[in-house]
Amino acid sequence: MVFASLVTACKDDEFQIPAASDKLQNELIKRSLGPNIVGGTIEFAYAAAIVPEKGKLVSMSVEASFAGAAGTYLEHRSYSTSSAGVDVGVAIGNPSATTDKLTEVVFTADTSAATLRYYYKIPEEARGKTVSFKFSAKSSNGETIVYQTDAYEVRKMDMQLDLIAKDAANCYISIADMKTYDAAFAAANPGKIDLVYLYRALTAVTYGHSLVAPATDPVYLPAITLPAGLTNRSKIVKAFSVRDQQLARIQYGVFVDDVDLLSKDFDNAPDFAINLRAEGGIWVQTADGKYNAYIYVNSVNNTTKEMKISIKRLTVK
Amino acid sequence: MKKIFLLQIALVLLGTLSILSCKKDYPVDDDGLLITSRSDCYVSGFELLGADFQTVRTKLAAIDTTAQTINVEVLYGTDLKNLYPQFSLVTDATLDPKIVGRTDFSNLSAPREWTVVSGNRKVRKTYKVFLTVKQ
Repeated sequence: MVFASLVTACKDDEFQIPAASDKLQNELIKRSLGPNIVGGTIEFAYAAAIVPEKGKLVSMSVEASFAGAAGTYLEHRSYSTSSAGVDVGVAIGNPSATTDKLTEVVFTADTSAATLRYYYKIPEEARGKTVSFKFSAKSSNGETIVYQTDAYEVRKMDMQLDLIAKDAANCYISIADMKTYDAAFAAANPGKIDLVYLYRALTAVTYGHSLVAPATDPVYLPAITLPAGLTNRSKIVKAFSVRDQQLARIQYGVFVDDVDLLSKDFDNAPDFAINLRAEGGIWVQTADGKYNAYIYVNSVNNTTKEMKISIKRLTVK
Repeated sequence: MKKIFLLQIALVLLGTLSILSCKKDYPVDDDGLLITSRSDCYVSGFELLGADFQTVRTKLAAIDTTAQTINVEVLYGTDLKNLYPQFSLVTDATLDPKIVGRTDFSNLSAPREWTVVSGNRKVRKTYKVFLTVKQ
């Protein structure tokens, strides 16, 4: 009797293929990572399906709580990943139409399952607030399904990628504008210039590529005559392993967020950063204390005497 | 059986007594560090990091254990107000005062001093750190 009960207990249930639901179904994945910054994109993949016997997909639409900026669209190609690992897109309708908060794709192909990608360009109105999305799909048998996302926080900071600072040309950097300027602009707007970029190949010491405040000790401004009136003493803290994913766009998964810029300690910070290398960076506070920024050095070029930088900036005052 | 039983009791008592007595052989100071019998007292290595936690030394620090000085040459453009020194000491020694964070070395004419305390806490030697900036 014991033996018999053991035998029945050991018997495995055979795997049964799950029966597909006969209703319209949907699923959502958020594809973009990192802080949501105004001017950037939030990316989703939205899938909907219905058993072919019941009908086919008619349309898919997305409604955002803040109308997306220009460049918001719902991809009209359905993607699947091939066996080679490559994403293959099949057109299933005409390009999406966006009116105010709603973006819609009407299906023209005969399909009962599709995965569409949604690219939402974050508008200025959403700065510091939260944005949520309502994804929906309609099928030919009259069914509608809706997927409501959580609220995603949009950061207060700004980002600017790939600015080129060139020695003896566009070497004056403004954090307020997030741009590089030449000497003529600097002379006309001295209050705007927060940093000066220099490249010097000195023989006795290593100076290299450097970012200094205009009001720094003249010993750190070799062989340059600044335009008159440049008096900003920006505070600079050198950094090395802060390779922010959105600025660097290389393999590291570190993100500089609003809270990092807000809480950075600039007490007793110097006003110069000598010998910066690629993948290094600096934390900067403008002289008036209005902006805290992180400047990442994407690359430096000794021949052309250039530095490519990307900035994340937060208004703190 | 009775003999073995008595032997086991004796062993257990001996064990507990030795554990209790051993506690006096491992005295510990205020920071929870072991006080040993070593009287060696010197600095074996010195590292200096900048605000980006990368080294600012141009070469190895020159440590003179007789004169009790450490001479470091730092890179041009080092911010002397925000440096992080790291001492390597001989086994069981401690440093006084403790280094808690950023250290200001900007006064080059008044070198900073740290005292190395030996393992037995009886020998104290004060080291001066002299900084020079590469020009």
